[in-house]
Amino acid sequence: MKNLNLITSLFLVLLLSSSISFADEKPDEKKITLKMPEDVRAVVDNSCFGCHNTDSRNEDAREHLDFKTMHQLSDIKKLGAFKEIREVIEENEMPPKKFLERRPEKELTEEQKKILIDWVKKESVALMNQNQ
Amino acid sequence: MRRIFQLVILLFILALVVIQFFQPEKNKGEIDSNHILKSEQLPEEISSLLANACLDCHSNQTNYLWYHQVAPVSWFINGHITEGKSELNLSDWGTWDPIDKITALDDMATEVKKGKMPLQSYVLIHRKAKLSEEQKASLTAWAESLSEKVLTGE
Repeated sequence: MKNLNLITSLFLVLLLSSSISFADEKPDEKKITLKMPEDVRAVVDNSCFGCHNTDSRNEDAREHLDFKTMHQLSDIKKLGAFKEIREVIEENEMPPKKFLERRPEKELTEEQKKILIDWVKKESVALMNQNQ
Repeated sequence: MRRIFQLVILLFILALVVIQFFQPEKNKGEIDSNHILKSEQLPEEISSLLANACLDCHSNQTNYLWYHQVAPVSWFINGHITEGKSELNLSDWGTWDPIDKITALDDMATEVKKGKMPLQSYVLIHRKAKLSEEQKASLTAWAESLSEKVLTGE
């Protein structure tokens, strides 16, 4: 019985510490390197950054798009990234359905989708104008 | 037992004949001025690389081999073409805005570099579509330089 208590408490400690370390990994605003308006940043922070960053365990996600290094991309790569963001949102491919089953609070509202789409459109046009 | 076997074979052949009447529409459109080969001044090498390795599925003009017209192969091929065109249709090149052109070129360069395109299954049957390292390099270099040009509005 004593043994069992020990195991339970150990387990609890483990659970607690893992949730703490998870809290540590939680994205904070400073880690998104690209300049963006606050409303966009809030959406990216809540629904995208968790997987799309250099230290994410999701290799596929961070290869496709990394909000920690995005500012280093060439203008052409940025245009590509913006277009992909727009496509996956318009087609409801992101955030992935499986992920949303576990974290329904990450689902984008219509308003949030519009914020992101308007942002990438505006940024793409600005990038083009800069180069012309 | 033999009777049943014969019947099965017969039914199979019959089915094969019947499905020939259900053919997908062929991807044989006219080449107009929006086609990338018409609307861009491409180096000879690039035009032939595109034609040999990309345009069967990424344009409105497929060069079919005879057995591509036999069901069920024709269904399978048609699925590939439909999917390829929905991702990238170089027959519509001229209708795109500069951002679409740049992102398409960037995608093309990335896919070719990574060896994801042309598809392995396609290359197996179309030996001309097999790109050497040099061909990959010239295709990606072309895509990158054209996207720079489109970006700067040259």
